[in-house]
Amino acid sequence: MTGPVLVLGEIAGDRVVPPTLEAIGVARSLADSPAHVVVLLAGARARVAAEALTGAVGGAVRVREDPTFDGAPVAAFAAVAAATADLVGARWIVVGGTTFGRDVTGRLAARWNALAANGVTEATRDGDALRVRRPVFGGRATETLRLAGEHAVVSLRPHAFPPAAGTAGAALIEAAPPVEIPPTLLAPRRTAVEPVATGRGPGLTDASIVVSGGRGLRAPENFRLVEELAESLGAAVGASRAVTDAGWRPASLQVGQTGRAVSPQLYFAVGISGAIQHLVGMVSSRVIVAINSDGSAPIFKVADYGIVGDLFQIVPALTAEVRRVRGA
Amino acid sequence: MPDFSLSPEQESLRDMARKFARSEMAPHAAECDRAARFPEEIYRKAHALGLMNLNVPAELGGSGLSLFEQCLIVEELAYACGGMTTSIIANCLALEPILLDGTDEQKQRFLAPFCADYHLASFCLTEPSGGSDAGGLKTRARRDGDAYVLDGEKCFITNAPHASLYTVFATIDPALRHRGITAFVVPRSADGVTPGKDEEKMGHRASSTSTVRFERVRVPVGDRLGPDGGGFSLAMRTLDMTRTPIGALATGIAQAALDQAAAYSLKRESFGKPIAEHQAIQMKLADMAQSVRAARLLTWQAAWTIDRGAKGTLESSIAKCFASDAAMHVADEAIQTFGGYGYMREYPVEKLLRDAKLTQIYEGANEIQRTVIARELLRGYA
Amino acid sequence: MEIVVCVRPVPEAETRLRVRADGRALDPDGVKFVLAGYDESAVEQALLLKESVPGSRVHAVALGPAPRTEEVLRAAIALGADAATWVDAGPGVLDDPIATARALAEAIRGVPHDLVLCGKQSGDREAGLVGPALGELLGIPDFGSVVDLRFDPAAGRLTFRRSTEAGQERWETPLPCLIGLQQAWNDPRTAKLPAILRSRKAPIAKTAAAPGATPTAVGERFELPAPRAGAKMIEFSSPQDAAEKLVRLLREEAKVFP
Repeated sequence: MTGPVLVLGEIAGDRVVPPTLEAIGVARSLADSPAHVVVLLAGARARVAAEALTGAVGGAVRVREDPTFDGAPVAAFAAVAAATADLVGARWIVVGGTTFGRDVTGRLAARWNALAANGVTEATRDGDALRVRRPVFGGRATETLRLAGEHAVVSLRPHAFPPAAGTAGAALIEAAPPVEIPPTLLAPRRTAVEPVATGRGPGLTDASIVVSGGRGLRAPENFRLVEELAESLGAAVGASRAVTDAGWRPASLQVGQTGRAVSPQLYFAVGISGAIQHLVGMVSSRVIVAINSDGSAPIFKVADYGIVGDLFQIVPALTAEVRRVRGA
Repeated sequence: MPDFSLSPEQESLRDMARKFARSEMAPHAAECDRAARFPEEIYRKAHALGLMNLNVPAELGGSGLSLFEQCLIVEELAYACGGMTTSIIANCLALEPILLDGTDEQKQRFLAPFCADYHLASFCLTEPSGGSDAGGLKTRARRDGDAYVLDGEKCFITNAPHASLYTVFATIDPALRHRGITAFVVPRSADGVTPGKDEEKMGHRASSTSTVRFERVRVPVGDRLGPDGGGFSLAMRTLDMTRTPIGALATGIAQAALDQAAAYSLKRESFGKPIAEHQAIQMKLADMAQSVRAARLLTWQAAWTIDRGAKGTLESSIAKCFASDAAMHVADEAIQTFGGYGYMREYPVEKLLRDAKLTQIYEGANEIQRTVIARELLRGYA
Repeated sequence: MEIVVCVRPVPEAETRLRVRADGRALDPDGVKFVLAGYDESAVEQALLLKESVPGSRVHAVALGPAPRTEEVLRAAIALGADAATWVDAGPGVLDDPIATARALAEAIRGVPHDLVLCGKQSGDREAGLVGPALGELLGIPDFGSVVDLRFDPAAGRLTFRRSTEAGQERWETPLPCLIGLQQAWNDPRTAKLPAILRSRKAPIAKTAAAPGATPTAVGERFELPAPRAGAKMIEFSSPQDAAEKLVRLLREEAKVFP
């Protein structure tokens, strides 16, 4: 028996964000039963978000309906999370792969005297302990850790887990324990939020997913196929040297020996033959997908999955499928 | 037993030079080579970080490093670009005569303001009619009251078009040959000093080289270094000090060539496998690696010997001669390893060969080095 | 302003990674440890703030074994830090981010600290835990992935930006607080040669990490990726079929969920 697993959720608008659904999915796989998953939500729209969530959560949703938490420093959440975990008897806390998730994990671990791991790509039970796997050294290696203490807090690597689907039965919505947040932790103020402009995805070197295009796209106006696929995935856009030399896109997008080196979870090489100069920049990606009309292209030697075909048909189909699956 | 490891201080100096070389010099090496551009902004940064004037004592505004430490730095800089390194260390060559034979007053007067701000200096010995035969130089220095009047032309002078200070070797009487040679410090601002146009060179194209003409240039007696007729000895003692860092420069170029060739050989395939698995390439790489290491160790030994107070003529001549020949050979083999790609200017190896060539010629052509080595060597058998 | 900057020796970026004989961690033999990446940006930020707010001091703190930790502190001094403290700690503390945070908190509590700066994550294990944990232990708010950090002396407040999934956030906060910086949004300076020579003789305060009762995560395996065997080619009857098969393989087999 490992007891309940607490998920510290994150709200955007009236719903939890997809990474929270991923965390709930992981919590369900770790808990003794779906009923043992507890989700904590804090913010002005916490109750509304909880009601939208109930299908996906088998256990309770603890709610602190409190506008103080919207745009509050991460520090404010640690106290409520620790108190909630203690109240429900949870030993483990799972948080989604977001900036918030990463930031709160360390804070929470120090407060709750827990073991912790950020950005895990695997999380499994081993008796009473939690075993996790995560990339290190810029993705060039992975470490496996066994968290065998009384408490553990983990945050997930983005896009490494499926979101929980809503079939587990209605959840109970209850109040989170009342916890005073020290004023010093609430003194910082968020003064503005500028939403990410559409089409501008994450930075190339930080991205979990990268979609790169090469000369196989044939003309600069076709590069938008790559950009549309990237957008559907929430991915960064990269390019081969042929593309940047030809001026289709700026040199800052170049992945390769004389450009950037990237090591995302998932790398799509679209219309890229796989010359050494390019491979050097992306070969440590965890999973590589190559789409090219030439089956003998060297890229297929380093890719994990290959599709030999007409990228002008395949890439749009892939974009559509990703959108369908993500419910976008 | 000698300890071949570096102290943590030496490592910090080397690492700092490496960081500067890789982040500031290397990205511009190809472009400066192609356009023969003199990257003053890079040289200014080098000065700001204390990478110029390495041989000048700290009290006078230099970095006051031992010859060994200078070699560690020079090798790192040359790894990124031989040409830029030549211009950076040309100051050391030009200022060394002042350090060796200058009076305290002259050192203070010339070196302190020079080192405080970004300035370049040139060592003016070579003439159109004589390089190796320095004893036969023709630039005249005629005594006129409390000054000398200099007339003549120097050529192949590094940094000349940009220098604010020249150390000039002239003769007070050609009939005396090397016994008439006298050394002077001449500011750029003196009347009658005219540097020429930047020469179009095979390599070291980020460095600037030209003639310097001296027409009735008045030099006060107080700006003469050492006594009348002491110039030849001063020039030789100067080169004794500056020869070893050229060994380090050549080693840097050789190491760069080896690294390029080795990395390429692991990726490039022929006949179904990386070329690094073919014996022909392995033999090449093995020979290249031996040459590079030997060049470095000979350079280190020469620097260590001179830092202990010995003259080190034999050691430094061997270091310079061996390392420069090694750099040529290693760069040549690196191009060969790259095959057709090595011949293309788009790839960085052919520049290394063009840069390596000069190290066999300047700071004492290798023929002269061999003469010196033979002479020093035979002393021990006489 | 009293600025404490936390740094850590990490393997140089170009290091070839090798697995230790017991398979549990990186083999440190032949690895060169340097001050790098995120920490360099943190030191640079500290120095920029020091230069913009007269009377400020920068105190570098590092935890780890000799000699690499001392070298990293000397590197920080050569860049311009005014003081340095070395928290001597062995593997038990060093390998556990929360234990590291406790030891650092102990050292930092004893010195003036208006602002504590950290890199976003160390360049090696990239745990990203020490900064936030340190904030919790010091009882101050913490913020990660910060760029464009500025101090308004009249208001006594820091302002900064950070990127989150919501977009670009702007924040303002009073001191004290802890800030984790995004890498290289600033251009870290290079230490000057004379400063490097002087740093060799600079004094470094030394304390030892008290062995804690904190639990430690056990590193079980350290793995380098297996060499690639060539792509699994996807057979398909139509572009839609190819797309569906690929997405399914990515989710179920590769477990990389788009």
